[in-house]
Amino acid sequence: MKVKRNLGWLALLLFIALFPATVGRISPYYNTVLILVGIYVILAVSLDLLIGFAGQISVGHAAFFALGAYTSGILTAKHSISPSIALLSGLFVSGLVAWGIGRAVLRLKGYYLAMATLGLNAVIVKLITGFASITGGASGLLHIPPFQIFSLTLQDHTYYYYFVWGIVILVITCCLALTKSPFGSTLIAIHSDEEAASTLGIDCPKYKLHVFVISSMLAGVAGSLFAHFMGFIAPDDFDILTSILILVMLFLGGVGTIYGAALGAAFLKLLPEVTYGFHDYELFLHGLILILVLIFMPEGLLGILTNVKNRLLGSKVLSNPPSLGTDS
Amino acid sequence: MHDEAYENNRLHGKHLLWVDNITKSFSGLTALLDVSFGIERGHIKALIGPNGAGKTTLLNVISGILSPDRGHVYYRGKDLTRLRPHEIAAQGLSRTFQLVRLFTANNAKVLDNLMIGAHLKLKPSFVKSLFLRGTIHHQDRVIRETAYEKLRFVGLEPAAGETSPSNLPFGNQRLLEIARALMAEPEMLLLDEPASGLNDAEVEEFKKLLLAVKEKGITILLVEHNMKLVMDVADEIVVLDFGRKLAEGNCDEISCNRKVIEAYLGSDYVNVAGRNHSG
Repeated sequence: MKVKRNLGWLALLLFIALFPATVGRISPYYNTVLILVGIYVILAVSLDLLIGFAGQISVGHAAFFALGAYTSGILTAKHSISPSIALLSGLFVSGLVAWGIGRAVLRLKGYYLAMATLGLNAVIVKLITGFASITGGASGLLHIPPFQIFSLTLQDHTYYYYFVWGIVILVITCCLALTKSPFGSTLIAIHSDEEAASTLGIDCPKYKLHVFVISSMLAGVAGSLFAHFMGFIAPDDFDILTSILILVMLFLGGVGTIYGAALGAAFLKLLPEVTYGFHDYELFLHGLILILVLIFMPEGLLGILTNVKNRLLGSKVLSNPPSLGTDS
Repeated sequence: MHDEAYENNRLHGKHLLWVDNITKSFSGLTALLDVSFGIERGHIKALIGPNGAGKTTLLNVISGILSPDRGHVYYRGKDLTRLRPHEIAAQGLSRTFQLVRLFTANNAKVLDNLMIGAHLKLKPSFVKSLFLRGTIHHQDRVIRETAYEKLRFVGLEPAAGETSPSNLPFGNQRLLEIARALMAEPEMLLLDEPASGLNDAEVEEFKKLLLAVKEKGITILLVEHNMKLVMDVADEIVVLDFGRKLAEGNCDEISCNRKVIEAYLGSDYVNVAGRNHSG
């Protein structure tokens, strides 16, 4: 059973590793699609730490995506700073802003927190549009150079593909390690009952702030990867709709599992590639599939996969109570 | 100027916890008025009173969930009044709730609840969780052993560790909450109606558990309605009625206290009960 499960993951890793050499070689376009998938996987997974584990609903994740993208973009395009340093700066700026804002905003709970983060997203987009001399304003920031590691330029999408997916796997591994550690259990306690958690000695505001900062820093990394990939970014890329898209990815895939978030991001980014052929009916189909999944599969895509796997492997489905989690 | 901690130690030296003139009102409704009493180290003190007497409010004040309008709570001579709940927990005070509050998000298991109870010992951080994996693994094993030990101590099967807390019968959920509170190795336990909803046999078992906890040297403040349990385990009793302290003393003193009988049964019964007692 354990071997079989690990085989599944190995197969997935192998697929990711061999993709550019096979499908990507025949049709390089799919390399670019998978790079975007990877970037959104980082966004959805990082949001899962905050929502799925700590239970703090944010509808402003794109704000930190934007901070990472613009920090990296401005530093490289206007000040010719090396992209590796720019990426780290993006991570740092996102984390710093999250730290400053989180201290105030995380006192709010539930819908109020959602509204506040939504507002934050709107404010950041407005600021980017407003400070046109620095950010390029509504017409966007141009001429962001491709990523560079020392002197190696990752202009070729195949190289960038490996770079992005290397980071994706690193992020997922770290997030899994975090959530399976006592730090993760602490977040789950805060998610369940803050008051009860505090009487066990848990400093809830501190842990909420920490997870908010971590989640935002990862979004910042995604932003930086996005900026160097696109070469051009505009405020529209980071508006509230993007935040909602990330949120939908998370809930579609299955919240509170990390894997689910990754799955949801991949699904939602790949779906247009399938529905694309339906031309006028594309949006209709897109919406229909989303609605069907959300109505009939409240546990998300990961829940379906887990069920199917259990049935195939003949393990006792009944012994796994309906849950969002992967079986243990 | 005098040293406050020293002064309190002098005044309340034998008391582990000293509740000093606590007053708390909710928008005009006085829940607690000038309540003072102390708990000696190693004792079980029962806090009783009719519904709405302010017992749970007092526990919430002591554990820092509510802050009092006036008055102080001293623990080992240290003023806890302005501390936040997690800081009070770090002083060695654990508590349970009237309605069991276990952690169930993300499919958390019984064992997870116990591991979270050990928070003060683990002091997890994301840096530790990512970069000190070896330490984490070692701690994890030690804490897991402690968790099984606490499960056995409260009378639950170690096998229960892998189930979801909501699958446990209600009585066992209460026991689990106590085991979780014990994971922090507290010096003092605040128990809010731990026997409510238990049947007679379970109450009998629970009595043994309370005495075993006391045996470990843990001081207990017990809010409870089950008078038989209270009379059997408590060293002293303090009675609240409408937010005021009505009486304080040992079990015999309380059971024939006129005011207490009046508060519980109404003034008509005072003479009857008094006669029965003398007879």
